Amino acid sequence: MTALLRGRVVLVVAVVLTIQQALLAGLRVRGAHPDLMLLLPIAFGLVGGSERGAAMGFASGLLADLFVGTPFGLSALVYTLVGFGVGMTEGDSLGGGWWVTPLTATVASAAGVLLYAGLGAAVGEGQMLHAHLVTVTIVVAVVNGLLAAPTARLARWAMDLSRSSGAWYTPVRSQSR
Amino acid sequence: MALTRRSTRPRFTLLLLVLAAVTIITIAYRGHADSVINSIKGDALDAFAPVQSAVGTVARPIGNFFDGAAHYGSLQSENARLRAENSRLQTQALQSVDAQASFQALLKTLNLPWAQNIPTVPAEVVANSSSNFEASIQLNKGRDAGINTGMPVVSGSGLVGRVVVASGSRSTVLLVTDPTSNVGVRFGPAGNLAVAAGQGTGKPLRVDLIPPQVPVDKGGLMNTSGLQQSIYPPGVPIGTVLTSGVPRGSFQQAVTLAPVADLSRLQFVAVMQWAPRS
Repeated sequence: MTALLRGRVVLVVAVVLTIQQALLAGLRVRGAHPDLMLLLPIAFGLVGGSERGAAMGFASGLLADLFVGTPFGLSALVYTLVGFGVGMTEGDSLGGGWWVTPLTATVASAAGVLLYAGLGAAVGEGQMLHAHLVTVTIVVAVVNGLLAAPTARLARWAMDLSRSSGAWYTPVRSQSR
Repeated sequence: MALTRRSTRPRFTLLLLVLAAVTIITIAYRGHADSVINSIKGDALDAFAPVQSAVGTVARPIGNFFDGAAHYGSLQSENARLRAENSRLQTQALQSVDAQASFQALLKTLNLPWAQNIPTVPAEVVANSSSNFEASIQLNKGRDAGINTGMPVVSGSGLVGRVVVASGSRSTVLLVTDPTSNVGVRFGPAGNLAVAAGQGTGKPLRVDLIPPQVPVDKGGLMNTSGLQQSIYPPGVPIGTVLTSGVPRGSFQQAVTLAPVADLSRLQFVAVMQWAPRS
């Protein structure tokens, strides 16, 4: 990865962090607000594969952890797993329809929130399981589903992967067809 | 050979990252690195403060405009209601001056601490929590203004929460509605004691440990008890009783409390410069 591309990745992360912290944190739908930091590893996993998804998950999760009071490192763990998982499933089981990206993001976001609450409860924060978990899951999943396509495009731009190029991205697609 | 290496590499990366994350969680959980983590969190808050202020300056008036336009009717009626309430309160304030003076004299004689005598630092709320799993707010002042971890925060007359992270120019306040928040309360003419626990953003507090025979008046005020080693000073109003009742076969009453402070629309708060006595 060249310095330019690294710069692009950092820029994308910084923009998403700013949107999340300064705008979305104040926006509440029935007491829950969207979680764009979780969408980052999903987008990078979708576009760049499991390894990049996991790496982005770790980075965005640690950043998110800096601004919340839940156990430090929990977001990093969960986002890493989500990013990796999304990278593994993409292309293996799904065709190439336009709905693949939003649907994957919705399912992965819901799984991420539930895993987050579950692991939080496992490390002693039992209240995370019943703090309006259903609402939070729905809000995060729906918003991330809606924003998945533009974020995936940003991720593709950051890693300089167009649909036609990309050494390992396209072959997976062509095999599945 | 090359193919095998390529397919195992992502898994190796995953393993490495998961181990790193689990290590971080463990270290943080055991409390060895609390001061380090809190200072990193503080630095992050400080670093992000200018960006947040800039975005807030642009975004807030736009949000307020739409909010105002959408709720014009309700704002008008709220205005009328507030005018009426204001005049009523002015009368009440005049009447209570005398009572206040004798009360202060009494406290002084008995050498008792009282919440209203504690110096405060006014601060503005600049952000809500970015997590869906905690109820917290961010203030525009921090250690530089004399705010420290553990200080209670009030708005108007009601308890808001306490400072959990204080950086140079920002501080994070855990609200009383957070599920991890527990406040010792005192209520009624007999001075009964109980504990008010948070149940999440926008939900009333749950009051535990009230025996079935203790009378609980609906609408009655509950204050912080400030018992020994309490994390709040005594006499700060928390909320008014919303519902009460004894569930069948229960050894305690089911009581809910509506916070006095409007926690969903906090704009300015006061941080009490008070530290728990150890």
